[in-house]
Amino acid sequence: MTSIISIIESNVPEEASWYDLIEIKSESTPISFKNNRIHSIFEKENHGFGIRINIKGRTGFSYTNDESKIKNAVKRAVDMSPYCEIESFTLPSSAVKVFEPYDESISSFDPDEEIQKGSKAIGSILKKFPGANIDLRINMSAGRMRIINSRGVDASYRSSYYSVSLSATVISDKGTKLDIWESRSSLYPVKYEDLADMLIEKIGIASVEKNTGSGKIPVIFSPKAAAGLIRIAAGGLNGRSVWKGISFFAGKKGEQVFNKEFTLYDDPLLRDSPFSYPFDDEGTPGKDKVLIENGAVKNFIADLKYAEKLEIEPGGNGARGYASPPSTSFSNVVVKPGSTCCSDMIKDMRRGILVEQFIGLGQSNTLTGDFSANLDLAYLIENGSITGRVKDCMIWGNLFDLLKGDVTLSSEWERRGSLYTPYIFFPSIDYMA
Amino acid sequence: MDDRLKNIAGKAASIISGLACDYGEIRISSSSNMSIALSGKNVDLITTGESSGGSVRILKDGAWGFVSFNDIDRVEYFAKKCLSIASHINAKERSDIIRSKPVKNEFFIKTDKDFNDVSFDEKFALINSYNDILNSSEHIQTTNALYRDIDSKYFYLNSEGSEIFYDKKYCGISLASVAKDGSIIQPFHESVSGYGGYEIVEDRYDLAEKVVKTAVDLLKAESLPGGTYSVIVDQKLSGVFVHEAFGHLSEGDSIHENERMKKIMVRGRRFGPDELNIIDDGTIKGLPGFIPFDDEGILPEKTYLIKKGHLSGRLHSRETAYKMNEPPTGSGRAINVMRQPIVRMTNTYIENGPCTPEEIFDSVDKGVYAVNVIGGQTNLEMFTFTSGYGYEIKRGKRGRMYRDIILSGNVFKTMMNIEMIGNDLKMFGGLGGCGKEGQGPLPVSFGGPHMLIKDVLTGGKQ
Repeated sequence: MTSIISIIESNVPEEASWYDLIEIKSESTPISFKNNRIHSIFEKENHGFGIRINIKGRTGFSYTNDESKIKNAVKRAVDMSPYCEIESFTLPSSAVKVFEPYDESISSFDPDEEIQKGSKAIGSILKKFPGANIDLRINMSAGRMRIINSRGVDASYRSSYYSVSLSATVISDKGTKLDIWESRSSLYPVKYEDLADMLIEKIGIASVEKNTGSGKIPVIFSPKAAAGLIRIAAGGLNGRSVWKGISFFAGKKGEQVFNKEFTLYDDPLLRDSPFSYPFDDEGTPGKDKVLIENGAVKNFIADLKYAEKLEIEPGGNGARGYASPPSTSFSNVVVKPGSTCCSDMIKDMRRGILVEQFIGLGQSNTLTGDFSANLDLAYLIENGSITGRVKDCMIWGNLFDLLKGDVTLSSEWERRGSLYTPYIFFPSIDYMA
Repeated sequence: MDDRLKNIAGKAASIISGLACDYGEIRISSSSNMSIALSGKNVDLITTGESSGGSVRILKDGAWGFVSFNDIDRVEYFAKKCLSIASHINAKERSDIIRSKPVKNEFFIKTDKDFNDVSFDEKFALINSYNDILNSSEHIQTTNALYRDIDSKYFYLNSEGSEIFYDKKYCGISLASVAKDGSIIQPFHESVSGYGGYEIVEDRYDLAEKVVKTAVDLLKAESLPGGTYSVIVDQKLSGVFVHEAFGHLSEGDSIHENERMKKIMVRGRRFGPDELNIIDDGTIKGLPGFIPFDDEGILPEKTYLIKKGHLSGRLHSRETAYKMNEPPTGSGRAINVMRQPIVRMTNTYIENGPCTPEEIFDSVDKGVYAVNVIGGQTNLEMFTFTSGYGYEIKRGKRGRMYRDIILSGNVFKTMMNIEMIGNDLKMFGGLGGCGKEGQGPLPVSFGGPHMLIKDVLTGGKQ
């Protein structure tokens, strides 16, 4: 493997201030069930190299997925550098593998066993709802990243990932369609019978159709739905949009923008998440960063480029594949849970809505926090209990205004992909049926 | 051409013809790519690179195996591995596909000006000149100007004896301005792309002017109050509606896997007025949805999805065509050789109707003109679209400007509510493309004429 370093060293021109090279290698095995039965098994291999070279302050970039052509990539990066912006940040001089987002048991992944597990989960739903149409996707991947730079870094770590996504379509006797899904991801193969049980329970509740009039209504967002809303808010904490002045949070460091109940941070070091890492794709060590603390803007996330522009300490938020230069990206986004039990939220509600799934969230002008969405799956709550499903209805509003006003966060939280969030309750949201 | 690729393709052709399977295909490609992205007054990133890749897909005893890889020299190893995966699945219900005659052909994209012959300096200067226009108002907070070209040599080989070579050349630009006034932040963007040469991206100064003007105008626009309106949709919104709302429903996989859709999407059933014709056509050269053959080696055709208001066809891969016992339409497409083909659209549009745009406007006493589109999402029969902007219509005339027009409703009801269809069809593409099952952006185009639709539900403050 030292050959890569010598290839670069011998091809990078002397006037170069620095270079770095990322090598990414991954193998994955997606298994898919369609229409209640096993459909296919895939195997994917992907491997490539991305190289950045800074000459006279300007950084050129190129990539290849052929190790024998690294020399050409170096030349292209050098050729492009005069056209690029001046960047004067310094690369890290060490990258320490304090942990790996990797679990040895990923190697025990067995397609036969997965097909059996999958068939069983599908069977348990079909037993209750024989007309259901179920899709199941299982994915396993294992990979390795390596970062090399001119300041002496040559570091790598392994990663593993397992995910399962189960979705069911059920048509009621009246012809109403229900699409419902649940998913889970982990560092290693996990059980997921309970996902099937959750779907069964939710399909049962949703089979009762309810209506309620348009107007302002109290709304609870489940972690699955809240994750979509939080992604909109978090987008504005990306150093890139802050520096460009198109973020709601730009110029508001220290300012109280949300309710003091609301605290959000970015944490690449959480050990149970497959979205964690010891250092980012520029070699910067991962750090836990509070971005919104008790409603006040504290910090932003940034890769090396934007950390320099914003004069903040880089906390390990430079992400890239081999075919693109780094860009600022979140690791795990965590919303701090509150103190109210989620069952109490429901119990205390006279008439309101619990939202599970949206259609079309995030299509609005999200820079300003506006959102509008059709409710793909939402339940009506009457006198403290869930009584059925509301459909063909929309909610809309401004997320930043909502987070500034009354907001209650549950004490329970869930990880949805790379986002950890509690149930979120707002007392008044525009609703139209 | 790269001799190495040609040699590997030759080897692959003999491997696939000798495999003991029901059906098999090997796809390999080698491509080079360049993109220049400017933002505000700065260069955001410049990327150049090359990649090769391939995949093997095998159907054996009714089960599919698929293997994708970068290391195309080891194609034989991967073909054997794929065969063993496919043999491994014990399928209770067998998959099968429509068979086709072998295709032996070579396809080349005709260009007026090959982008490979254009210097980097010239490309850089062009996108810079567009970016200067995008920046040309004091209200502009930032911009995004992107140039991209991709040159790909692609071999398709299958066990039916098809051997196809395609020299693919695709390029485009995407132009965005973000206007800001106090707490109002208003982005607007347009994009053009297609199969062809550098001529696709040249002389687009008007487009850049339009983007910056619209973003700035939107700062003063009001939100449309929620309610139910008669809506005139422009050509782009017509196109996005037909692609998102009806096109995806016409994809064979969404029908044969869904009992409800099977009952609704019945041939001969009325879905709109007599004047309504909806077409998907991958044969239209130059447009982003052009394909000389699909990624299953099937030649594309012009498919009427709706003819005179009635459902007349749908889009198929080899597998869905077999399942529904209908002819394939050349709609099995993959985003690149490392992904498997699934049912996709190409160039999808509503044909011209009988009305002039003037007649359409004159017929509206009170309503909304919805222009362009920011985004759209559907859940089979329900849709939600956000229009880029729009205007109040009073007695046939445009009034105040609106932003954030969110249109929502039931696809079938909305199609039946089409009252007038214009005669000014226009097609749109762009670098954005279509996403499905994690495969995106796939180059497609869409379009239609101006149309009047009654009783459209819009979200917004009442």
